[in-house]
Amino acid sequence: MATELDNIELRPARRQFLKGAAALAATLVAPGVMLYKTGQASTSGQQLRWGLLIDTNALSEADVDACVDACQREHGWKAEVNSPTAAQWIRKVKLTDTESGHQRFLPMMCQHCADPPCVDVCPTGASFKRADGIVLVNKHTCIGCRYCMMACPYKARSFIHETLKDQLPVAPRGKGTVESCTLCVHRVDRDGANAVPACAEAVNQGGRKAILFGDLNDPQSEISQRLRKLGAVKLRADMGLNPGVRYQGL
Amino acid sequence: MQIHPPLLRLLASIILLGASAVGLVAAADVSTSSFGEIAIPSPNKPADAANCVEPVAVMRRDHMKFLLHQRDTTVLEGERGKKYSLVGCIDCHNPAKANEEIVRYEDPQHFCAGCHNYASVKIDCFECHADRGLSSSQQSNLSLQADRLQLSMQTFRQKLEQPRGD
Repeated sequence: MATELDNIELRPARRQFLKGAAALAATLVAPGVMLYKTGQASTSGQQLRWGLLIDTNALSEADVDACVDACQREHGWKAEVNSPTAAQWIRKVKLTDTESGHQRFLPMMCQHCADPPCVDVCPTGASFKRADGIVLVNKHTCIGCRYCMMACPYKARSFIHETLKDQLPVAPRGKGTVESCTLCVHRVDRDGANAVPACAEAVNQGGRKAILFGDLNDPQSEISQRLRKLGAVKLRADMGLNPGVRYQGL
Repeated sequence: MQIHPPLLRLLASIILLGASAVGLVAAADVSTSSFGEIAIPSPNKPADAANCVEPVAVMRRDHMKFLLHQRDTTVLEGERGKKYSLVGCIDCHNPAKANEEIVRYEDPQHFCAGCHNYASVKIDCFECHADRGLSSSQQSNLSLQADRLQLSMQTFRQKLEQPRGD
């Protein structure tokens, strides 16, 4: 048991080492050039890290359905009924306590890990993590191999099998590429810390904040303060991926 | 280098002869400004074409370089709303029109398609990107479709949740 745990702990460390090596190489290749930066500047002086805090206590089944619906409207995707190839931007997960029969619903999407396995396995670098922590697929370089779909423990990615029409300007998506939740990156790039992802917008009516978006690295941000005060769960924290989406009430 | 005057005269006459031959061919169909059977494309320009991000000559030659460069800064670094944006091009050159047929890239009348067809350029931008601007009514139409789909999904889920006989 102890050795198993040791192995789990080793993995992120190895990743850190590889990342360090890559950073060193980058500075040698292009001294003085920032390889990755983002449109939004950090207010805390620390590296930005966008995340979500989802309060499952405040979410009914209808709320989670509303999240899924809002995401579909925002990005123009449709989930094919009864299809193993259905799009997985966001989906509803039902947890049932078999003893008491108590049910709980939560929206499941890309967890925007700090150490994303989908990035580790991508052969072309198309699956990448932005400097502000958002994990994306660069569809210009995605070759559709689907390694990232296999690697993702949250099943947060899906592949587009068919030719699409009528895509929305904010969400380009097409046959032969993998896609997933973008944390509404077009809104984030436009509004910064005040951005509200579509799923959050759908359930945050009347002043309540069932889904809170914010900078996890800024100790003054609302999301950090709420995390400090109330705590939250990282799904499958045992894997040490440090997801940016946190759940309360699980 | 100096060219001998008689040689220069010979060269000039050859050039003149060639030019007149081309003139004869062109004179046959000058009114439609075409050469042979293939019409030279002259895509409709938006009313405020003078406000394009670069002069027409620069855009004709270099638009693909601008787009290729900016797509990487947009996707990797999140720099949106900069000078050369594909969405910006489409919003201006193929805008949403109320109660009109949407012009798609497959249509030779599409601003991009006219020249690309003429020059045999094959692009795959519009396999993913929107090839037309989107009006609010079209946007809500798409939402309606999503609503209908949502309803059918709900019935499907209800069926799934019914206990099976086996």
